[in-house]
Amino acid sequence: MAEVDFERALERMFAEAPAFPDAEAFAVRLEQRLDRGWALRRVLIGGAGLVGGVIGASQFIMSRFVDRLETASEGSAKILSNGWSHLAPNVDILAAMPAGSETVWMAIALAVAAMGFLVTRLIDEF
Amino acid sequence: MAGADRQRLASLHDVELAAVAATGDRASFGELARRHGSAVRGLLRRMGAAPAEADDVAQDAFLAAFERIAEFRGEGTFQGWVKRIAARQLLRRMQRERRLQALAEESPEEAAGASSEGAAAGRIDLDEALKVLSAAERMCVTMCYGAGLSHAEAAEALNLPLGTVKSHVKRGLDRLRARLAPPEGVGPEERRGNG
Repeated sequence: MAEVDFERALERMFAEAPAFPDAEAFAVRLEQRLDRGWALRRVLIGGAGLVGGVIGASQFIMSRFVDRLETASEGSAKILSNGWSHLAPNVDILAAMPAGSETVWMAIALAVAAMGFLVTRLIDEF
Repeated sequence: MAGADRQRLASLHDVELAAVAATGDRASFGELARRHGSAVRGLLRRMGAAPAEADDVAQDAFLAAFERIAEFRGEGTFQGWVKRIAARQLLRRMQRERRLQALAEESPEEAAGASSEGAAAGRIDLDEALKVLSAAERMCVTMCYGAGLSHAEAAEALNLPLGTVKSHVKRGLDRLRARLAPPEGVGPEERRGNG
């Protein structure tokens, strides 16, 4: 038999799947592992979300955001009347927060990243 | 309900199932595993893995395939894609357990004692024929003709020089031909018998 013919015949032989009596059990076992992995992933994501939410909420409370917002509102009225040059003191409010301005900026950055992730997921889905 | 769902999945093409599985649908992927599980398990055994190990690696390969299912674009067959993943997974495991080294150190002459006298026997199937090959020949032939890797890809995966892989493949093919060669006037298809 010519070499090429033999190689083709060999490929055909390899392509023939042997029959296993436990083929269904193999597939069921795989599905169970997939389900377990999925459940674990959901728990992990849920847990991470919960922890993130608790941290975010605690930071929010610790920063006395509402009080600061009121102060900022009063300040912003003045700033609007005085022009852009008075915006700088408003930024200082962030630095004065107990949690620190870095935390707020980090939260903003995370929010932007989460929004970006959400948008890419939506684009993937639709 | 589950039966109807199973029937619906069974009517879908591999590419369609893969597309649905890419959305996270595990049942669709289960159907793919049902269709191609035996082929992947068979390939790993032909590469020289023990049955239990072959099944473990096949499971891991399908799980890895599910994670990467979005990468499958239907350019080749799904079975071929999973087979390549499985072959590489087996090699990685062998590498971890330092079993690949023994394969690399095997000289082509070591398997010279393997018999090729089976050519005269009536019906010889591929699995039986592969047993006369050395471990390295068997691995190389199966990777190239079973998993569809090129010689270069097999050499890279096995961490062997390209020339060595070609030599193992050539020698393996010669032995298989001697083993599987049909008697006068009979093609291999008619002789295989145990498909």
